[in-house]
Amino acid sequence: MPDPTPREPSDDEGRVELSAPATPEMMQMVHAVLEQLWSNHEDVAMADRIRFETAVIEILGNIVEHAYRLEPGESERRFDVSLSATEAALVASFGDDGMPVSIDLSDVTMPDEDAESGRGLALAMAAVDELSYDRASGRNHWRLTCVRQPG
Amino acid sequence: MIEFAVDTTPEGVGVVTPKGRLNMSSARGLKDILDGLVAEGTSRIVVDLGETTFLDSSGLGALIAGLKSARQAGGDLRVARPTEAVTTVFKLTNLDRVLRPRDSVEGAFDA
Repeated sequence: MPDPTPREPSDDEGRVELSAPATPEMMQMVHAVLEQLWSNHEDVAMADRIRFETAVIEILGNIVEHAYRLEPGESERRFDVSLSATEAALVASFGDDGMPVSIDLSDVTMPDEDAESGRGLALAMAAVDELSYDRASGRNHWRLTCVRQPG
Repeated sequence: MIEFAVDTTPEGVGVVTPKGRLNMSSARGLKDILDGLVAEGTSRIVVDLGETTFLDSSGLGALIAGLKSARQAGGDLRVARPTEAVTTVFKLTNLDRVLRPRDSVEGAFDA
């Protein structure tokens, strides 16, 4: 059994965190963690929730789908995510021990209308205001920021 | 989690209603249902998105694949009653022109 370990918000600004195996089943867990974030921050506008959740799930999908091509004998990969909301912005920070991601975000474009795949990163970038990726100490780090709309 | 309701109208239009989140885990199910309808000869399909609370790029891919196979079979795939989450993703991906949302399931093939 996977052993997701959601932690209660305890520190600043109702932050919620999750550390779990990087498997497709964890999508539902992250949706649930987002619901917890919204219940801690009921004032976040629906439009901002949608933009943020869309980008968070696309990045998680990228981590699960592309960064976890295990070599035979390798142990399970894991990811962690921290989600927080301030009055100004919604911020998500991902870390994972998967393969390095060889992509230049400045080259990401939306595929043609009839493409059946390849929209994930372009959608994430379109949904939020900032998206960054870097590789440090053998880990991938994604950070995304959604500036909250007034009122 | 997600459930799919599948129905056929007296006019022979297939109606698929995803109830829940269309994401990486559930998009495959939608694609299989759409492929199955077309294979059985139902090439006019409405996907009722009124109960789809979340849509990601995998779900979009399943809709586009269904659209293409329906058209190849001489029919079409139309989407109806999108929620705010669905509309947002259509706009962000510029697919609101290809998957032009209709106001109702019943009228989706009227025009």
